[in-house]
Amino acid sequence: MVITAGPGAAALPEGGRVDFARLRRERRARLLEAMGEAGLDALVLGRPANITYASGARQLWTAGARPFGPGAVVMAGSGEVHLLSTWDDGVPEEISHDHLFGLSWNPGRIAANLAAIPGMASAARIGTDGWSPGAGSLITSVAAGAEVVDAGPALAAARGTKTGDELACLRTAAAAAEAGMTALVEALRPGVTERQLMGVRAAAMARLGLPTPPMEAAACVLGSGDEAAGGGHAGAGGGAGGTPVRLRRLVSDRAAGAGDMVALTAGALYAGYEATLSRTWLVGPEAGSAGSASAGQREMAARARALCDERVAACRPGPVSGRLGPHEWAGSEPVAWGVGLGMEPPLLGAGLGAGTVLAAGMTLVVQAWAEGGPGGAGGALEADAVLVGAEGPERLTRFASCPALRPN
Amino acid sequence: MARSINGAVLPDAPDLARMRIERHARLQAQMAAAGVDALLLLGTNPVAYATGAETPGADSGRAGLMRPVALVGAGDTQAHLFTSYPEGAPADLAEDHLHPALYPELPDGAALAADALAGLVPAGARLAVDELPHPLAAALGYYETTGASGVLGPARLVKTADELACIRGAQRINESAMARVQPRLRPGVRQNDLSAWFLEAIFDLGATGNGIDPIWQVMPDCRGDGPWTTHGDVAFPTASFDRILRAGEVIWVDTGIDWHGYASDFGRTWLVDPLAPPSARQAAQFRRWDEVMAAVLSILKPGVTALELGRAAIDANGGTRPWIEHFYLAHGVGTESAEMPMIGTDLGDAFDDRMVMQPGMVLVLEPVIWDEGAGGYRSEDIFAVTDDGWVALSDHPYDPYGERSW
Repeated sequence: MVITAGPGAAALPEGGRVDFARLRRERRARLLEAMGEAGLDALVLGRPANITYASGARQLWTAGARPFGPGAVVMAGSGEVHLLSTWDDGVPEEISHDHLFGLSWNPGRIAANLAAIPGMASAARIGTDGWSPGAGSLITSVAAGAEVVDAGPALAAARGTKTGDELACLRTAAAAAEAGMTALVEALRPGVTERQLMGVRAAAMARLGLPTPPMEAAACVLGSGDEAAGGGHAGAGGGAGGTPVRLRRLVSDRAAGAGDMVALTAGALYAGYEATLSRTWLVGPEAGSAGSASAGQREMAARARALCDERVAACRPGPVSGRLGPHEWAGSEPVAWGVGLGMEPPLLGAGLGAGTVLAAGMTLVVQAWAEGGPGGAGGALEADAVLVGAEGPERLTRFASCPALRPN
Repeated sequence: MARSINGAVLPDAPDLARMRIERHARLQAQMAAAGVDALLLLGTNPVAYATGAETPGADSGRAGLMRPVALVGAGDTQAHLFTSYPEGAPADLAEDHLHPALYPELPDGAALAADALAGLVPAGARLAVDELPHPLAAALGYYETTGASGVLGPARLVKTADELACIRGAQRINESAMARVQPRLRPGVRQNDLSAWFLEAIFDLGATGNGIDPIWQVMPDCRGDGPWTTHGDVAFPTASFDRILRAGEVIWVDTGIDWHGYASDFGRTWLVDPLAPPSARQAAQFRRWDEVMAAVLSILKPGVTALELGRAAIDANGGTRPWIEHFYLAHGVGTESAEMPMIGTDLGDAFDDRMVMQPGMVLVLEPVIWDEGAGGYRSEDIFAVTDDGWVALSDHPYDPYGERSW
């Protein structure tokens, strides 16, 4: 099925926008193939994104990195998926009731649930997506003598390039992220705080029927570019006297002022798939009024946009280099990362990702941070989700840059 | 009733600097007891506990790859913090303890992380870790590693007065947001509409994060009308989506937010239709819930065991366990949304018998009164054990069911 109706969250009478049964089937096939190539008899997954990839289960969104524990188990021999779920709500039909194991607080019961999975006790090589001393003893108690290895390479092989249905989900997420950006831009006015903008954006996602956005960094007031913007740790904020501001991801109660530049970030999750974009916007004198930017502000914004465009253009099959290379930085952050079921490897820049080879069908978020110019504070952030296409990059997020900050 | 906790008064507002100092002292004491040279923490909440650093809320994938890392050296005065978000570091963190981010989930990042740690922890040191991603485990081969739960668990089990003030502060924001949401509930509202109003409200009220996608689960009258479960008991909590809520429906509400690293936990039962008051059976469910709460609270004080508290709840419910099979009568809350002490889990009676209440422990009591054929009632309230009893950290009405008796 092709997408005939454009992005949207609702099902359609003729079969919906994304063929989720095919999506799950193709993901599972990729995962089993990657397991075969890695010689894995079993895969024990604890990361929610990997559990989604393997099972297709609709999970409850929770914030933060979850401690490793068995949430889904994939057996190479049978090709079947066993899932930690006390109920069948949100569980795809191909995972039958006898393949569900319930929530337990008791390590002995958790071990017994794992041991009851056919083939687990005799598995010789088990891949896991996390590790802790406790989880290690749990797995060795179930599969004595098994070699436990990093499932990361196999998962990256499966998840790295996207199927057509995964891309349809990513495009829907991109449209939703743009709805979040619209909400941010419309709410931007003198006096609104970064924290309030975070609420506005989360509410916009919820109204679309989507969960809490993948990251709470909705807004960072960067100042007008003519004065310093501070806040936070001494090593983190902007200094006085024209020191460039640092991009803050943690929102504060700082209010936007007329003439300020504000870095806005909107991300959305659809069926677990993420798209994220950032735009730097000028705060007008009142809501709905564009305001007028200084030459210095326009220069900063143009520099960020041009750098972001360069990074988009570098999203081509082949070894990463230049603007996506390990020596590139976006403030103190990487300049690009894989995006699919949330943020995923590779991370590029900030000392990371040397030797990474991009392939057609991979999806990335690329970002660019321009520090304030000589004598000026401020800064500008731009970011986009990009598909690495065989014929060249395709920008998945289309939202325009701030009109008031465009070059004259 | 005295409201002191280990002699300290519960302050109206937390002193975050004092809280960090006291938590650090607890970690140091547990590290010394466990013979650990250094504590390496990668989990979102353990890092927050050890450092006091705030981090933007993120889904698990991003929170894993961009995770802040804490290193606590035995005898050191502060924890080292490695973070992408230095703006969230406490202002009193020494400059030489604040470091650029590490990426221990990635092979090249783990190698860089091992280099950074090598400068702070001598080879051969005994290192306790909460999480050890494979790449980092490979890169850290020269340390003797052990689990961190023996250090973290005892340190976090009993809260300081400032920690309790943080939990109460988080709960106040959560409750205030719900006071804005519940009046808007009526037939035709979707679950995600409630989420939108809630999320906008919590950040307007000062929340530092949202912990879990809000739950507004429509409950069946009979267990068999709900989702199939592995144990035959009620399914809860299930994820919200764009379900349109209808007249006559009962929803179990469950949300949690973050405030300065501490979680709230709000649970109530609501009726979708504001024009229809609770039925006689529904009203009786609430009275029974209130009786169970009163029975537990009547014996809650230092020295009582989790097993005794659980039995008091069962007795007050006519001999039937008033909680769902896969959960508990009560759980703790702190930097984790559900942590020890827990009462009534499948860890069993012997475990509960060993869990003795102490001043500073926190209990989120969440009895469930299931009334097969007429659904059930579930609400949650938070209590801290004081030096001679308890103090409530939550305070929110039970509309439209009635008022509590305790």
